Amino acid sequence: MDALKAFLRHPSGMAGLVLILAVLAVAACAPLLYPESPWEMVAMPFAPPGEDGMWLGADTLGRDVAAGIAHGARVSLLIGVASALAALVIGVTVGALAGYAGGGLDAALMRMTELFQTIPAFVLAILLVATFTPSLATIVATIGAVSWPPLARLTRAEFLRLRRREFVEAAICQGERTARVVFGHVLPNAVSPILVTASLTVASAILIESALSFLGLGDPNMMSWGFMVGSARSSIRQAWWASVFPGLAILLTVLAINLFGEGLSDVLNPRIARRRG
Amino acid sequence: MDRRQFTGGLLAGAASLPLGAGRAAAQARGGTLNVIIQPEPPVLVTALNQQQPTLTLGGKIYESLLKYAPDLTPLPGMAQSWEIAPDGLTYTFRLFPGITFHDGTPMTAQDVVFSCMTLLMETHPRARNTFRRVAKAEAPDPLTVVFTLKEPFAPFLGSFDCTTAPIVPKHVYEGTDFRKNPLNDRAIGTGPFKLKEWVRGSHVHLVRHDGYYRKDEPHLDEIIYRVIPDAASRTLALENGTVQLAQWSDVEFYDIARLKARPNLAVTTTGYEYFAPLQWIEMNNRVAPMNDRRFRQAVMHALDREALAKRVYFGQAKVATGPVASRTKFYDANVRKYEYSLDKAKALLDEMGLKPGAGGKRVEIKFLVPPYGESYQRSAEFYRQSFARVGIDLVLEATDMAGWASRVGNWDYQMTMNLLYQLGDPALGVSRTYVTSNIVKGILFSNTQGYSNPEVDRLFDAAASAIDEKKRQELYTKVQQILVEDVPVAWTLEIEFPIIYDKAFKNVVTTAIGSHETFGAVTKS
Amino acid sequence: MRRAAGIGLAAGAWIVRLVAVVLVIATFNFALVRAAPGDPAQVMAGQSGGADAKLLADLRAEYGLDQPYAVQLARHLGRVMTLDLGTSTQQRRPVLDLIRERLPATLLLTVTAFALALLLGSTLGVMAGLAAGSAADTAFTVVSLVLYAMPVFWLGLMLVLVFSVWLDWLPPFGYGTINARLGPWRQALDLLTYLAMPAASLGAIYLAIYARLMRAAIIEVAQQDFVKTARAKGLTATQIVVGHMLRNALVPVVTVAGMQAGALVGGAVVVETVFAWPGLGRLTFDALLQRDYPVMLGVFLILSVIVILFNLATDLAYRLIDPRMRARSA
Repeated sequence: MDALKAFLRHPSGMAGLVLILAVLAVAACAPLLYPESPWEMVAMPFAPPGEDGMWLGADTLGRDVAAGIAHGARVSLLIGVASALAALVIGVTVGALAGYAGGGLDAALMRMTELFQTIPAFVLAILLVATFTPSLATIVATIGAVSWPPLARLTRAEFLRLRRREFVEAAICQGERTARVVFGHVLPNAVSPILVTASLTVASAILIESALSFLGLGDPNMMSWGFMVGSARSSIRQAWWASVFPGLAILLTVLAINLFGEGLSDVLNPRIARRRG
Repeated sequence: MDRRQFTGGLLAGAASLPLGAGRAAAQARGGTLNVIIQPEPPVLVTALNQQQPTLTLGGKIYESLLKYAPDLTPLPGMAQSWEIAPDGLTYTFRLFPGITFHDGTPMTAQDVVFSCMTLLMETHPRARNTFRRVAKAEAPDPLTVVFTLKEPFAPFLGSFDCTTAPIVPKHVYEGTDFRKNPLNDRAIGTGPFKLKEWVRGSHVHLVRHDGYYRKDEPHLDEIIYRVIPDAASRTLALENGTVQLAQWSDVEFYDIARLKARPNLAVTTTGYEYFAPLQWIEMNNRVAPMNDRRFRQAVMHALDREALAKRVYFGQAKVATGPVASRTKFYDANVRKYEYSLDKAKALLDEMGLKPGAGGKRVEIKFLVPPYGESYQRSAEFYRQSFARVGIDLVLEATDMAGWASRVGNWDYQMTMNLLYQLGDPALGVSRTYVTSNIVKGILFSNTQGYSNPEVDRLFDAAASAIDEKKRQELYTKVQQILVEDVPVAWTLEIEFPIIYDKAFKNVVTTAIGSHETFGAVTKS
Repeated sequence: MRRAAGIGLAAGAWIVRLVAVVLVIATFNFALVRAAPGDPAQVMAGQSGGADAKLLADLRAEYGLDQPYAVQLARHLGRVMTLDLGTSTQQRRPVLDLIRERLPATLLLTVTAFALALLLGSTLGVMAGLAAGSAADTAFTVVSLVLYAMPVFWLGLMLVLVFSVWLDWLPPFGYGTINARLGPWRQALDLLTYLAMPAASLGAIYLAIYARLMRAAIIEVAQQDFVKTARAKGLTATQIVVGHMLRNALVPVVTVAGMQAGALVGGAVVVETVFAWPGLGRLTFDALLQRDYPVMLGVFLILSVIVILFNLATDLAYRLIDPRMRARSA
């Protein structure tokens, strides 16, 4: 309750939350606002904003940019959240194993994590998506596969810290099973920093997805913001609106999630907030 | 006989054409032409690689025996005259004297025989389709080449342009591994221009071949091919004059109108008659519901091809009527017409029992999008929206070039699109897509959709070996009518690629192969 | 002496790590490509307008595609260790040559972007940190948050829109004016006009990160005793910042810079595509479309090596900057 009150008094965090709710509302209402498919060619190619009843203009094929943005919100949020969840599952599993087990396993897992952090993640993402052909599943799996290392490191650090605490030691002494110790005592106490990092992972996942789609490595059946910018790129001299507005949508969404995540972080664990600067 | 008249006409045509079509402009000598080349070709030896950029660039370096007027009539190339024996089996070419390779060695009939019968047979699938029909090729003297065919093959004389039968030096290639020959880097041909320098990723610099056999040619001093990987930069380079020539898909279709408006630029769609690129939706005829002719006809009716030409190709395309492009020999417009009609499409689908289910959806079909650029992607998006209106749900599948080639070649697809060249004669560029004998797994640009009709096979065979033009026309008209009724593939558009050039240059587009031509006759004023 | 030995030991550990990473990535690359659908022989042959079985077989033999996987892997690793990255299937040239041609462009872009971000970001961060709480500081925070949330490709396009399409100040795409015959100085200047926007869009996000780090570090350092002492001694603000605070505040910046080298290189791939910059990123993208196996593998490997080398550099810089590290090794 205190945390909630503190968050309500956190101006930038609240601004983020309001923006997120706005994006969610657009995503939820997209089928009502634009019942036709966003792929439908409803106007002349390159119709400028305001013409043909389209207040954000039309793209190369005469598709409504505003409809694309509304429907694209669903895709971007879906992929952002799903990929962050995938990264969360991988990262927490690796981090928990390393932090709780320690020793050789810890060393091996951390070497692997380091390796993943060293290599250029986006290049790896391009390689993976291109190799296994772009679809919703491969994109989510790929973003998850390149986004987990920070979550793993954080989880490991939390586990190492909590492992030595009295209540955990006590639980182990009482002969509780490992699974019970991990899920009953350690994980609940590590949830808040993990949650903060996971929320920021959503933002970076949206950015990675948009960059992949921009390069033509998105799911061709889903109208996503990155795809819209990418397909409007070569005609930027004819129709600036087709690349400006979808990009703004990405920017606002990512900004909102970042603000929200940082607000959350300030409220939930000042320790981490300070470390991040 | 018709046959003899035909031959005589050809000879008369050859005799009446003077050397070097640009002689009148001989006073204009010198100048540099900068041309866009995109993507950068892997090699310049057209005998070894036939990608479009290789042919565009290599066309200046490698020449062949003939050229072709825009109406596809043969003109003298390195052969000054030719004769066809009355039985249609023996072709005799007489070469111009004094032709030399860029390394100074004289080019003789032996080089022609070696190129056609040995090297191209191994490295050039399109050339192989012609020269495999040759029983023997001989060089009775250094300036005479005689081909004797196994059986008559009417389009034989249509295979001697510089993209199909480039002549390479025998002394360089004989007995070597052609693809690994170190001299490939030097690209030694007989064309009016020779390679001076190739800076990878940047440009290819060609300069005049002083020993060229057409005494006035080449007029230009040098041609520089510029690699510009980005479409917007290419348009810009034409606008600000850093390059003076662009071809094929160098410029995005929607930029063409802007370039047309420039007073110093000329935009033409001639110079593609030999290729006459024809685009279609390819449907795997083995897979239900596409194995039903009524479904394929419904696809034809469901597509507003006029709108496709306008929206995606910005007017640089024309609705196709059937398997033969309108600029190709033996085209016949008198075939069944498929007008845009959603009702007719729905009626056909209803008739075959493909009833609409929830949300009006009748069937879901996977469409493999060819990874060859934005206009393919946009076409696919256009098809998806069009077909959805009659209850055919297209699910687009993205892929890379290898994936596309492998899946289409191995028949592992439901629907895709394709663009094929007609190569001047239905026997060279059309029949390959429809005859049963060309259903070959693993080979791209064959009868990959698996259409088979014995009557069509018979007609194509008869038309290829018939020599009489009227007879051929009859056979091809018949086959076009049958095919349009059967719709093995759904022909969409004849793409009219542009050639865009600075008006200071003359004689840029003179033949049916346009920007692939040797450019010996091009002048700068 | 002992300090030099410490650095030597660290360098040794880095070399071992480099080799290990190269081997792991080479193996991973190999597995990835073999797991992929599609047959490389098909595309090589298919593009020339059709192919027969003999040509396909020839191509498979030429590139070793018909060997068992184990043999291919052993060969692959052996070659990688001798810096033989194979031959491009599309361009038929050694991959190392292709990379060598493209590397300067990528290095120019990434190093410029990084330097720009570090210098400008640190400066802005210091200024904001010293003026913490002011209106300028708030504006700075907002701008850095926006930059941090901006998709790099979109920022690039917006720069093109403003500076090329609308203002017509800078060339929109490319790597130097085509066919320009300029002297060395003019040529460098010409290249600079092409470099400005790609470097700015790649560097922007790091500029925001470094500036925020610097700002926080300055605020933190300002609380510490040695700064208070210095102030008491009557040193000017500039003297304090340059002489005492900067070095301490740089530590987190350098640490983060090292950690983000991979992301910087990844961003370069996108930026190179936006601006038609002929570097390794553009090479990777073209290779992917054509499934040019050797090029894909080679570029990924080389980019990883660059990142590790960059890590090494920041690690050394870290040792030089951080007084505590120096004290420890002394």
